[in-house]
Parts: sequence; C-alpha cells; structure tokens
Amino acid sequence: MRGIPTVSITVARDVTERLKLPRAVFLPWPMGHHFGVPFHRDLQRRVLLEAFRTLETASESGTIRDLIIRWADVRREAKTLSAQGLKL
Amino acid sequence: MSVGYLKEAAAAGETEKLLRFVRLHVGDGNEAVGTRELEKSWIEAIRILLREEPVDRDLIDSVMAKDEATLALLYFHLHFYLVRRSGEWIHDGSQ
Amino acid sequence: MTEASKAVVDEPAATAPPDPREAGTQLRAGLWQTINERYPGSMVTRDTYVPLARHAKPLAEARLVMISSCGVHLTSDRPLDVCHPFGDFGFRRVPSDAAPADLTIHQLKYPHDDADRDINVVFPIERLQEMVREGALGGLTPNFFSFIGYNMDPKRFERTVVHDIAEAVATEEHADVALLVPA
Repeated sequence: MRGIPTVSITVARDVTERLKLPRAVFLPWPMGHHFGVPFHRDLQRRVLLEAFRTLETASESGTIRDLIIRWADVRREAKTLSAQGLKL
Repeated sequence: MSVGYLKEAAAAGETEKLLRFVRLHVGDGNEAVGTRELEKSWIEAIRILLREEPVDRDLIDSVMAKDEATLALLYFHLHFYLVRRSGEWIHDGSQ
Repeated sequence: MTEASKAVVDEPAATAPPDPREAGTQLRAGLWQTINERYPGSMVTRDTYVPLARHAKPLAEARLVMISSCGVHLTSDRPLDVCHPFGDFGFRRVPSDAAPADLTIHQLKYPHDDADRDINVVFPIERLQEMVREGALGGLTPNFFSFIGYNMDPKRFERTVVHDIAEAVATEEHADVALLVPA
C-alpha cells in the first residue's frame, strides 16, 4: 500500500521534533489558534499555503518550516480591524 | 500519567498517585487548581440542594442500578457539570 | 543622594526575559517536558523518521483530507467524551462540505473561544473549500476526521483511533494528501 504524504501544523516545536514528523510548519502562536484569529481570512490562507508549499518541497523527513509571524502582531492587527468593524 | 503508570500504581496500592492524577485531570494539569476544583463541584452540589427543588428519585434509582464502569465515568461527567454550573470555569487551556 | 542609593540608581535594570509573543518563539517553552513530568508516560517520542511518501499528483489535482485533534463534530452527532480521565478512543467524521453553523467544538483542554467564533481558527474547512473552488486544490475527501487530543494511553490510541482513521482515509476516502492539525 502506498503512503499518503502528510503535513502538520504545530505551535509546539519541541513536541514535533520529538515525534519526528515527516513535514511540519511551526508557528509561534498559542494553542487553539493554529490558523490565527477569527475572520482573518488572509492569515488563515497564508498558513495553509505555507503548509502546501512544505508538502510539495520538503526533501527530507523531519522538515519543520518556521513561519515566524509574531503573535503580538497578529493580535494587534485583529484588534485594529475589529475596532474598524472589518472582517479580513 | 499514562494509563500504564496508573495501572501499576493501582496494583501497588499507591493511591496518592491516583489521587494526584485526578487533581491534574480536573485541574487541567495544575494539581493545586485541581484540589480547588474538586471542592468546587461539591460546594455547587450543596448550593443546588439548598434550593430544595424536586428531584427525580426514580431516575436516580435506575441510574444507580447501572454497572460500576458507567457510574464511575458518570461521576466525572457530574463533576464537570457542577463546576460549569458554578460559573467559575477554568478549562480554557490556560493552566 | 547617598552612595548606597546612587549605587542602586546606577545599577542597570534587571533585564526581563523576552516576551515570546514579541520574540516569535514558542509561546509555551518545553511543552513536551512539562506534560511528561505531570503525566509520566503520556508523551510519545520516536526514534526514527518516517520515509517521505511521494506525491502521486500535483496539489491542484490532489484530493486532501484534514485530520484534527480539535474535537469538532456535527451538532447532530454525539460529542466526544471530554470528561473521561483517559481520553476518548473514538473519532468523528466531519463532512468536508459542512458549514460552520453545522459544527461545534466540545473540548476542555485548549482555549476555543476564538474557534467558537470562527471554526477556521483551528479547523480551516471554509478556507479549504475556497481553495478547491479556486483550483489550488484538486478536491477534498467526502469526510474529514476529528478526535480529542487529550489521551493518556498512547499505545491503545494508536491501535484504535490512529489505525481506524488511517484505514478509513486510505480505503474509503481515497485521499492523495493529508493535512494533520492539532489544536
């Protein structure tokens, strides 16, 4: 039976390293927010696209791609747009 | 603790390890919080009973006739139910 | 000003550790160690890497399955058991064409206030549906899969939930690629 390529998202890089997952994207974000914040469509898509890129381009098992978007910046952006009554 | 660890503790009569696990589970990984959570559910049960509302004794009797595995799990469900009723819900991943 | 107080004033202020939210580092450092200390034997370590499975087709033609530990389920389904002290050894199928209004999260061990407002924060089902419409993905499997991440029996979990989901993904859903998402 052929294997199915996988990619994971993680906010716990140390756990992912121990598990030796084939491919993963690491974000420095809190649990419960692996794709960002509510209604921030572009950010959610960005995480997915990074995962797909990792899926397609990782050349060795155990690849962890770091997507370093600071959580403080994400929250500031979300608050600003929420105050403006906008959904991204 | 893993289930394997708990089975060994239970077989060896190391009840403090079992109790520690209960505190960790209801305290979301924080033992001191778990101790308070256990007290909280009992306090809430007493508060509710102090209202002296009707209770369904037939249902209680039929539930109590169930097997012990079901009742043991129900005990955990009741704990979380009562803690939620208390309005002081800690289970948000912050512990 | 006395020499003593001048010395205090002249001393450089103690440097606070960098705030990981600003620094872009893992917010809860040493998570594996912390959890394994609290719950000995509950955390898994692998000794070897899984060989990479090769792609059979480009993503624009591939069928994707999403597998999540966020505990999401259809509102019409029985919730996973979040009260059980050892975890729930079951899973739920989540139709990949479901709307957020049809879904709910029943969970204790991670913050899901934001996910309750927008499920895509942990389970980006709408984003994936859009990507199929845009042609970035070939398609989605009929069902996605969800289970509870909290579990105190890794070996039993692997024999049951992991085995059953993998079997379903390979033989019923015919996935080409898999997106694995913790919560």
